[in-house]
Amino acid sequence: MASDTDYDSDGMRDNGNGGSSEGNGRRRRHPMMTWRNNLRALVVDNGRICRIMESGLLDAYGVEVEAVGTGEAAVELIASGETFDLIVIEMFLPFMSGPETARTIREMGITSKILGIAPMYWEKDAQEFLAAGIDEFLEKPFTPELFVPFLREIDNQK
Amino acid sequence: MDVMIQLQRQLREHSAFLRKEGYLDDQFEQLQKLQDESSPDFVVEVVSIFFDDSEKLLNNLAKALEQKAVDFKQVDAHVHQFKGSSASIGAMRVKNVCIEFRNYCEAQNIEECLTCMQKLQFEYSVLKNQLEYLFRLEQQIRAAGV
Repeated sequence: MASDTDYDSDGMRDNGNGGSSEGNGRRRRHPMMTWRNNLRALVVDNGRICRIMESGLLDAYGVEVEAVGTGEAAVELIASGETFDLIVIEMFLPFMSGPETARTIREMGITSKILGIAPMYWEKDAQEFLAAGIDEFLEKPFTPELFVPFLREIDNQK
Repeated sequence: MDVMIQLQRQLREHSAFLRKEGYLDDQFEQLQKLQDESSPDFVVEVVSIFFDDSEKLLNNLAKALEQKAVDFKQVDAHVHQFKGSSASIGAMRVKNVCIEFRNYCEAQNIEECLTCMQKLQFEYSVLKNQLEYLFRLEQQIRAAGV
């Protein structure tokens, strides 16, 4: 569902490769949880506020986060060699949709946990996203109650 | 000292009021927990961005609904964005209007969409006033504590 209104252009640094990412930069001194392993997450959400909250919460729970606003930027980042334990993808991204992004990432051989998220959805949306290769589909807001069990699972399996 | 106590009481009461009346839900507390010594103004900063984005969204929604041939997919896209951002910061009433709005977009019911548009403008405007008051109280407390 492409929108010609760009709500997320502010704060996006162009890395010169056509994609842009916001490295979290600020690592919390006292995270709310600690893990046995270093956990990295990629947040893919075109909504500015959503992206800030999703990365902020993951950071607060001890995860190193990168955040991008498009599926294209996510694919570029992964293609450049960056690895992530967890990838969180908004369903309704402009241009390359959430399902297209998930499908492309899986076709690249990435086996990381992928969570699909959406503000609202019909059942067919969830089915489409799951068929594209995500592991779980969640409704926003992205809360610790929702994501901590996945972090625990990832940490235990590493 | 009395001024400080009074301000703190006003802050507590106003916060409780916002929760009780459903303006804010648990997600606002998640936002507040993200504020720490390295980001002491995090809540105000994020809410300011929310206000910016919301005003753009409301403008775009109004323009989309004014068209002779309304593009309901476009309206739906804006409502989605608004639901996402409002849910992310705990703006419960705004979020709930978006949910209702979405159903009318799906049904392509222009009259109800226009009604939802008005409700959204109203709820957003009230929320903005309430949050600005909350932040003013917090600022007064900080100033009184110096």
